[in-house]
Amino acid sequence: MLTRISGGEIVDPLNGRSGTGDLWIEDETIVEPPASRRPDATFDASGCIVMAGAIDIHSHIGGGNVNTARLLLPEHYAAHASRPAVTPLSSLGWTAFETGRLYARMGFTTVVEPAMSPGSALHTHLELADIPIIDKATLAILGNDDFLLSMIRDDASSSMIEDYVAWTVASTRALGVKVINAGAATAFKENVRTFSLDDVVPSYGVSSRRIVKTLQAAVAELGIPHPLHVHCNNLGAPGAAETAAATIAAAEGVPLHLAHLQFYGYGTEGSRKFSSAGARLAELVNATPEITIDIGQVMFGQTVTISSDVMRQFSARGGADPRKSVIIDGDGNGGGIVPYRYRKDFYGSVQWAVGLELFLLIDDPWRVFFTTDHPNGAPFTAYPRLFELLMRKEARREVAEGLPKRALSLTTLPAIEREYSFEEVAIMTRAAPAKLLGLADRGHLGAGALADIAVYRKQDDVARMFEAAALVFKNGELVVRDGEIEKYRWGRALRLNPSPDKAMVRRLEAYHQERYGLSLDWFTFPDWAIARENPFGEVPCRA
Amino acid sequence: MSALTFTLRAQPPERLDLSPLVPRSLAGMAKRDMEKIRLGISKHALTVGDLFSVAGNDADQLVFEGGSDRFDCVGSGLDEGSIRVVGNVGAQAGRKMTGGALTIEGDAGPHAGSAMRGGRLEIGGDAGDRLGGPLTGEMAGMAGGVLVVRGRAGDCAGDRMRRGLIAVLKGSGDYAGCRMIAGTLAIAGEVGKLPGYLMRRGSILLDRSPRRLSPSFVKSGSPDLVFAALVDRHLIADGISRKPLLGGVVGRYGGDNAVLGKGEIIFSVAERDR
Repeated sequence: MLTRISGGEIVDPLNGRSGTGDLWIEDETIVEPPASRRPDATFDASGCIVMAGAIDIHSHIGGGNVNTARLLLPEHYAAHASRPAVTPLSSLGWTAFETGRLYARMGFTTVVEPAMSPGSALHTHLELADIPIIDKATLAILGNDDFLLSMIRDDASSSMIEDYVAWTVASTRALGVKVINAGAATAFKENVRTFSLDDVVPSYGVSSRRIVKTLQAAVAELGIPHPLHVHCNNLGAPGAAETAAATIAAAEGVPLHLAHLQFYGYGTEGSRKFSSAGARLAELVNATPEITIDIGQVMFGQTVTISSDVMRQFSARGGADPRKSVIIDGDGNGGGIVPYRYRKDFYGSVQWAVGLELFLLIDDPWRVFFTTDHPNGAPFTAYPRLFELLMRKEARREVAEGLPKRALSLTTLPAIEREYSFEEVAIMTRAAPAKLLGLADRGHLGAGALADIAVYRKQDDVARMFEAAALVFKNGELVVRDGEIEKYRWGRALRLNPSPDKAMVRRLEAYHQERYGLSLDWFTFPDWAIARENPFGEVPCRA
Repeated sequence: MSALTFTLRAQPPERLDLSPLVPRSLAGMAKRDMEKIRLGISKHALTVGDLFSVAGNDADQLVFEGGSDRFDCVGSGLDEGSIRVVGNVGAQAGRKMTGGALTIEGDAGPHAGSAMRGGRLEIGGDAGDRLGGPLTGEMAGMAGGVLVVRGRAGDCAGDRMRRGLIAVLKGSGDYAGCRMIAGTLAIAGEVGKLPGYLMRRGSILLDRSPRRLSPSFVKSGSPDLVFAALVDRHLIADGISRKPLLGGVVGRYGGDNAVLGKGEIIFSVAERDR
């Protein structure tokens, strides 16, 4: 089937295309304008911006911790999402179904769940398989597991560590590797309560830095397109900027991705010993080309923090609002669920400003990614308002007027005039994430690309524009029209498939028998366990 | 002006959400628009006009002639005016109400007066489980107002109650006043097992000695309480009860020591035990 999207203002930074024009789709892919054929369907996009479907690289949309958060906060479903007009009862509230619907109507077509514990890979993929419309992907968590830490302690060869990482990525169907507060969750089990980059995990004698460097090297050597995704130590602590700076310096020329950098952008100035270090971190990122970051922007309101950084969540549970939380001292990382309300008080305002400083002071939109660390900084439903803050300095000023002056005086935000252009938004939310994740078939509108397309009606109100896309195509199918779902379909989970080394599989089998008295088969699963046709889409590793 | 009256035509074929029908949202609304309000929660999308014939014009006083245990959320969020139901209601009657008066002449389902904060909810018949209690996940139940049940209440009456007064006149099921944070729960008649289970603070008043009490309550004698006389007088003056609930001599248990232990169960000591 041949489809034409006519007369839209095309924004495709990867191919250097901008300006009014037509876009042609044949079946699932974007094609060059055909010479003499007539389209089977034409969609009028005049007065609209046409971009590739957006990609969210860091959003907690499925898996054990998300489910625990649902159990902890059943009363918040209704507040989180309004009840859809014509859908089955099972879709009420904060469900997998709603996640797909709400992402799609904003023009997002690929979303990455960044924290999949290898032990709950099956659960995570089953849940992701229930999210309609969009494609998904996961990052597997390593770095607090006994097997890896023991290998590092015992000076295992780098090829052995690579084999283990390859096995984990392949068996959990992940698109990359994440390390969360490397070593801290294991140290936490020995009653350690603060942990920094050069602290050593008791019983293993391995520093956090060594874990990060080991995994960074393994990921690079295996040709995994997405660089190691690092959740640094000391998240949320005043003075965490020091840790982030040390981690940035530790990249040493090899690509490294720092997640939700906003949560580390805190200095210790001012009478409350809490200030913004956003400008300083932005400068460091600008000067270190191998570093990419996502923001984890804070938006005011009720949310829930979901993290496998069990040490941080344990210390944060006193601030839970409402006053209830779950801490899981589990295998590997464990995790913690702590509800939180970001208030327009001193601390909340500094956090809000730090995120925006990072967005606006990092010059290269190819290296800064648009996230709220859903739901840790804000639910992803806050994205349209965040786009507005980035694209309209007036909107920022309006919000800032309602915030404590003392808080903003400890930031550089009031002096920043930059406004994001559509081109920069398209880079940050489309072209750059595709490049970062190694997804050559999306994030742009060139011939041969997957026809994931978002069409937004141009208007002064940026938030309205991004909240409900005029048209969204997924794999060439029209799925959203005027913000309403036109067609439900099932996306895939994108994965890498490095072939695991046979000797490593034998070793892991022996390890699981010895430690747990269980076969390794308990921790792996066949593709058909996900009861969908073609549940996975394979992404190649770099040669 | 006559009360705005909704007369039920026939038993509804599905559960209804009656929360839109409160005085504040109906004030000044034309009858035609009222009949278009959607109450059904299934795809049939039943409206007021499908279910009721509407008469009268004073939106400050609503009357439902005929009820059903499929009437959910009657008077939910009520803040002014009055609603009277001649019949039964379903779950969550008077949920989160902050003012006004809601009178149900028949029975109410579970979660009647759930998390109410003010106003007066009176149930002529029996009430279901979790009277005044929070919905799943919420931190506190009833936080103010007066809730009267003239019949019997189900299990967990006053669950996580925080403030206000609940009076039940014909006994209750198990775990009355469980997880109470504060407030007053008065029950005449037989109560089931473990009243005050995990209560932190607050007062449970009984017209007889509790039979199956948690061992984490301790007996604290037979104090001479001004509070007891005050409550008795109030219950009579407010038209809730016709005779004193506690009477002259009371006994007291303190607990639940499995949690904070600052709560109390005050009960009337029978004539023969004095």
